[in-house]
Amino acid sequence: MSTYKAVIIGGSAGSFQVVTKILSSIPTGFPLPILLCLHRLKHVRSGFVEALSLKSNIPVIEPNDKDSLKPGIAYLAPANYHMYVELANRIALSTDDPVNHSRPAIDLSFITAANAYRQKLIGIILSGANRDGAMGLKKVHEHGGTTIVQDPAECEVKTMTEASLQITQVNYVYRSDEIINFLKKSVRS
Amino acid sequence: MVVTDQDYQIFIYAIKSSSNYDFTEYSEKSLRRRLAKVMQDHNLNISSLVNKVKSDKKFLEQIVKEITVNTTELFRDPQVWQNLRYNILPRFKNNSVINVWHAGCSTGQEVYSLMILLNELEMFEKTKMYATDLNTDVLENANKGEYKYRFNIGYLDNFDKVIKENPYNYDEYYDIPYDKYFTIDKSRDIIKMNDFLTQKPVFKKQDLVKDENTLYVKFDLILCRNVIIYFNYNLQNRVFDLFHRNLYEGGGLILGMHETILGNYSLKYKKRGHAYFKV
Repeated sequence: MSTYKAVIIGGSAGSFQVVTKILSSIPTGFPLPILLCLHRLKHVRSGFVEALSLKSNIPVIEPNDKDSLKPGIAYLAPANYHMYVELANRIALSTDDPVNHSRPAIDLSFITAANAYRQKLIGIILSGANRDGAMGLKKVHEHGGTTIVQDPAECEVKTMTEASLQITQVNYVYRSDEIINFLKKSVRS
Repeated sequence: MVVTDQDYQIFIYAIKSSSNYDFTEYSEKSLRRRLAKVMQDHNLNISSLVNKVKSDKKFLEQIVKEITVNTTELFRDPQVWQNLRYNILPRFKNNSVINVWHAGCSTGQEVYSLMILLNELEMFEKTKMYATDLNTDVLENANKGEYKYRFNIGYLDNFDKVIKENPYNYDEYYDIPYDKYFTIDKSRDIIKMNDFLTQKPVFKKQDLVKDENTLYVKFDLILCRNVIIYFNYNLQNRVFDLFHRNLYEGGGLILGMHETILGNYSLKYKKRGHAYFKV
């Protein structure tokens, strides 16, 4: 039995390739839900989920409000909504004001997931061009969750990972292949 | 600003006991965040906030307005509006009168979106347009039909997608000028809806938590977009019941892109495209 209950991944510019790589490398039937909070360009509101699904080994969906979180599914924060995790293991969406100029805001998804899953959460920050996510990852750490930051040396844009490393003593700084190995290992019985 | 479980409960109870507003069945995550923001903006801790809410009616009204979410845009989610244009609204083409209720209309951008569509479909004249919200400030703004230009340039893209283009036939293009419906004043940073649009709707206060239909008519179409995401199951069911009782048979309900009808009421509506029709 895995000690973890969920994985949450945040990223923006330069993260799409990495997320695709992760989703195409983890096994079918991956035993945890994966929450994806990724910034996207304003005009690319649709087509994102399809693009991610192409190579993914698990289904990728844009959830509806109050959907239950199930293992083996990747939940992509819908364009123009914040995505929260409620305590009852459900998604909640919101059209509240953008945070860090972003909606979805990575911080909000991470903070609510940290609240819901505490030490049973794996939080991962990938390449990105702003500081959104840094505060969220800190909360994951404070609640005893496992924190991973993509190695800035490998990131297309370092701002997000460096901001995260500045304020949190994370558990691991990993290249993408190491992130994938960690995910595979952490769910092995 | 950290809002503890206890702070949250104290606040909800204070509002409930000193007014007609009841947030007990609101979805917690959003409301908590708004509460934190309100405390920060007013630089008050929970006990001073609660004391002020209890003793100052005007302040309470203001806090209720601040705590409810009021984001909307013109033709938000263009695919929904394309669906309305080509599949949903034409069903009502032969009605002699079309009654529309936009529940939780906020500052009204989508009330105008619908009227623009109806006008393009030559169904504007026979439509009675009603729009309600809990917050009287946003209703006033909606009534005025005036919005910031700079933050809303995206409106024009959405307008093009819904009004100028036909997603089912890319060869088709309707060259409809913006000024048919609104004027853009860049120097004053304003988008202003034209008079024939602003004069049409009846705006009225209504609280989906406790009020019945305050408009005294039944409806062919109800829009309630990105409102029920802030409600829990119980309250959602109340709203689905209220809408069901006030829709004509075959009438349609349009929710937000990522909202669905769950539980018992899903059997009382039939989903087609982006609309739920009363069965």
